[in-house]
Amino acid sequence: MIPAFALALGIALGLFLDPTVPLWLQPYLPIAVVAALDSVFGGVRARLDGIFDAKVFVVSFVSNVLVAALIVFLGDKLGVGGQLSTAVVVVLGIRIFGNAAAIRRHVFHA
Amino acid sequence: MLASLLEDTLDPAYAEAAARRGGPDDGSRSQRLPQVIVGVLVMGLILGIAYTDTRAEAPSSERARLALLADVQRDSARSAQLQDRLEDLRMEVAEAVDAALASTEDGREQSELVRQLEAATGVLAVEGPGLVVTVSDAAPEEALDPVTGDAVEAVPEAGLVLDIDLQAVVNALWAAGAEAIAIDGQRLAPTSSIRTAGEAILVDFRPVSSPYLVESIGDPDVLVPRFAGSETAARYDAYRQLYGIGFELLRSERISLAAATDYDLRYAHGSAPPSVGENK
Repeated sequence: MIPAFALALGIALGLFLDPTVPLWLQPYLPIAVVAALDSVFGGVRARLDGIFDAKVFVVSFVSNVLVAALIVFLGDKLGVGGQLSTAVVVVLGIRIFGNAAAIRRHVFHA
Repeated sequence: MLASLLEDTLDPAYAEAAARRGGPDDGSRSQRLPQVIVGVLVMGLILGIAYTDTRAEAPSSERARLALLADVQRDSARSAQLQDRLEDLRMEVAEAVDAALASTEDGREQSELVRQLEAATGVLAVEGPGLVVTVSDAAPEEALDPVTGDAVEAVPEAGLVLDIDLQAVVNALWAAGAEAIAIDGQRLAPTSSIRTAGEAILVDFRPVSSPYLVESIGDPDVLVPRFAGSETAARYDAYRQLYGIGFELLRSERISLAAATDYDLRYAHGSAPPSVGENK
């Protein structure tokens, strides 16, 4: 329950503080968003599976964001940044859908 | 690899951590809640920031477009303003020349000649009776956009007035005895160009648009029948029937045309000193 409130609080802070994202960070924002969504769904699913672990949760989120950012950064330098960020979004997107399906099975037993 | 990607959607680290602890336990009791809260807070923050950022981004392209539009409008207003000033100054020069020449008989003759030449070459605004030819694109029809496949209102390609069509009208008017011609208020000088750039027709690098108003000054009793009997007019009659292109002649007793904007000669120089005697 408390993490859910924290999530809502984070979203509210992001909305109302309206921080300006520096230009060099712009390309990584979509990646960070998808990584964040992936971690949220993964965490919820692990919780429902009964194997949630705070350390894994936080570390996997941070490393996902960093690795995804690194891939996009390298891709940008090599001229395939757009394609690589698509790849990151696709892979994480598939995981999000898989986790969402598992959550659905837990919640609705269907 | 793809199979494992599709099946193992949960980070395997969760299972390993659970195995290390010795089997699943029921969550939060043993967990480090502050870490989770901070992590989740950061995730929420990212989502919120991304939302506001995207929302701010969308209008910014629109803003850029509007700013460009404003720039264009401001600059073309300034261009028109400078144009007016140029015309005023030209008038002043013409008056000053007149005043300077008016003192002698020879001078008056000269000034009359200069006036004639200026009117003929488009340097001076002129007025007089003449003929107004209105040429316009055919009415737009329902058509399918070739790119998006949406239904759009578009003028059929055969119904568009092209630069060569306008050139034909202008040439026919000169041939019929017109002394001064303007298209959509754009006076034609001896060096004027009429050409297509993209989808617009440019007259001396200024865009004109349908309906094209071709005003010409000349003796209406000669100009009108000669133009109406010209090959160009006959062709336009055919265009009107075949493609729906608009073509109208209107005799007018009083037409006033502005001065041309661009008549500077860059390479041609007068070969003899201007003198009335020589020109006569």
